[in-house]
Amino acid sequence: MPELITPILTKGIGELNLRDLAVYAAQGGYEQLRRAIAELSPKAVSDICNGSNLRGRGGAGFPTGRKWSFLPNNGHPRYLVCNCDEAEPGTFKDHMLLEQTPHQIIEGMLIGAYAIGCTHAYIYIRGEFKRGYEIMRDAVRQARDAGFIGEKLFGTDTNLELTIHRGAGAYICGEETGLLNSLEGKRGEPRLKPPFPAVKGLYGEPTVVNNVETLAYLPYIMRNGSEWFAKVGPERSPGYKVVSISGHVVKPGNYEVALGITIRQLIYDCAGGLRPGRTFMGVQPGGGSSACLFEEHLDVSYDFDSVTKAGSMLGSGAMVVFDDTTDFVKASYALIRFFSHESCGQCTPCREGGHWLQRTLERILDGRGVDSDVDVIKSAAHQLTGLNLCALGDSIEPFLASVITRYEDQFRAYIKRPAQRVAV
Amino acid sequence: MTTQSDAATGVHPGPDAVAAAIGPADWSPHVQRAGNAFDALYAQLLPQIEPMIAQYEQKRSALIPLAHLFQEHEGYVSADALAVIAHLVGETPATVESTISFYTLLFRRPVGKYMIQICRNLSCMLNGAEEIMAYAREQIGVQHHETTADGLMSYEEVECLAACDRAPCAQVNLEFVYDLTRESVDAMLAAIRAGSYAIAPLPQTVRPGRSWKVAQDTGLKSAGALGVSNPNNAGGVGDASGLVMFDLIVGRPQYETRSNERLVHETALRPELAEADH
Repeated sequence: MPELITPILTKGIGELNLRDLAVYAAQGGYEQLRRAIAELSPKAVSDICNGSNLRGRGGAGFPTGRKWSFLPNNGHPRYLVCNCDEAEPGTFKDHMLLEQTPHQIIEGMLIGAYAIGCTHAYIYIRGEFKRGYEIMRDAVRQARDAGFIGEKLFGTDTNLELTIHRGAGAYICGEETGLLNSLEGKRGEPRLKPPFPAVKGLYGEPTVVNNVETLAYLPYIMRNGSEWFAKVGPERSPGYKVVSISGHVVKPGNYEVALGITIRQLIYDCAGGLRPGRTFMGVQPGGGSSACLFEEHLDVSYDFDSVTKAGSMLGSGAMVVFDDTTDFVKASYALIRFFSHESCGQCTPCREGGHWLQRTLERILDGRGVDSDVDVIKSAAHQLTGLNLCALGDSIEPFLASVITRYEDQFRAYIKRPAQRVAV
Repeated sequence: MTTQSDAATGVHPGPDAVAAAIGPADWSPHVQRAGNAFDALYAQLLPQIEPMIAQYEQKRSALIPLAHLFQEHEGYVSADALAVIAHLVGETPATVESTISFYTLLFRRPVGKYMIQICRNLSCMLNGAEEIMAYAREQIGVQHHETTADGLMSYEEVECLAACDRAPCAQVNLEFVYDLTRESVDAMLAAIRAGSYAIAPLPQTVRPGRSWKVAQDTGLKSAGALGVSNPNNAGGVGDASGLVMFDLIVGRPQYETRSNERLVHETALRPELAEADH
């Protein structure tokens, strides 16, 4: 059913060289930036965004217009930071957008910066995306030469500067205050909140941190009007979303769909379903931090509120699908090891909790597990949530807790096994 | 003219000016290599460094980009580079080291010319990454976080690289390599060994050691739990295994400094210390 897929951000990828400014401009690119700066006031632009009910596409799903409205009117300089530190297990949408359509991101950032009254925007690109960084650098150079970045844009008094910053390998820098610390040249350790970045962010000034995909939608919302976006899908979480589907599916990839599609449609109609002869065992609907959903959830509507209601979260929109060949002990171990490795170590529950869960799972996989380990994992997992500075500590537990309840037999099976060394 | 005032005004002196004013030892206190190889590199990079710092509103923001820059030319962040970065951003070398040690892509020791990083996270694992990693380890001949004896390749298993649709995936010198199979690993390694691989090698100014990891990823995050494998018996108050923990602590020389017993012990062994006290 190809009509389920609605290419907006992904339109032209694989057909056109959208890295070239001329090609992007021929598609109507930078026209909305010109319109915003030359014809509209910042207030009008942010009203359009507010009216569209656009919610953040990076993970938390916070309404973008509301986030902007938290900036205090205190005459201080303001910053817009675009978060392209995509590292959530299973997510690969920003990677594609960065490498394929950098101008869309630049235009979105500049419109966003204009709307909030910022004159210097930053984009934080994950260290591993070296190629993406080079592509973005060239795109920014083209945009600067074409007069979209710099001083007195389009004959007005508006000045917009854009700096690309490349990280150096740390998942925690995707957390907004960790990102700001990293951008300031510090260790990427999240800050205590409040004060929130909207009050005290980059260099201590009011700052908005938005995801790549969120900002990239802005030119299209400007072009088609806020109603166009707000009318699609459920009222409280409307619009389109790029969903990264991977794992045990026939056609893994990025699929841009209207929210409100069901999880079944995403897996079977967009991603081609499971491999022949396999049965469905579960799906992670929102990246490594989200709890696993099972067969009974297949008809849940894929939007922020419905997925939360089903006991998981939409997160960054990354679906990892599991069929009956999945070893859920190893799958949990891969994620727990990830969170344990990426914990910045500031908060004890996250640093120690992740570490001990990893060690316990290692022992189970080694064949040295004891019966009580399963109960220990169940109890320990619930003691991590809500006790940390940032959401990383809260992300350790959901997947493990959901699969150990559902597939306890898989964990128990390991415990009865004789000693066996598993490659780690 | 001192480094202090230069740092305060944001003027970055050229290497000759620095050497003339304070002597090279002051801004590169850990000179490792003979000659002026690093000074020449610094002079060569200076035109890039200045705009790099200028694009931020505070100098310290340039810390990570500068570390990337020096690593691109030296293969790792050398002690010289570290000292120069500290000077350029107006921080102490300790602060710079603390910062760069947080990030996994900045190497503080020399690495192989080809840094092979295979993804070990969920989507890749579901698509056979474990088998590919075992095969790659066997074919390269080193383990996780190790460099081959000839210094050609370093091998690391990393977390999600955001290419899950092309799993299992890897990065070689930060360039993506998708859809790994045994055959593609074979072809890649053969090309690297033959010097004909499409991805360029990293520069290598110093011969790498066995591993580039300083004290990271040993699996031992909390010192209190060294050598204890059971979270139920970690050695807390009222836990019978506390005795086990006590024995462990007493048995480990690195903890001896925390106890007064060490002084007694040491003076018994080295009488000259006891005399010096009186």
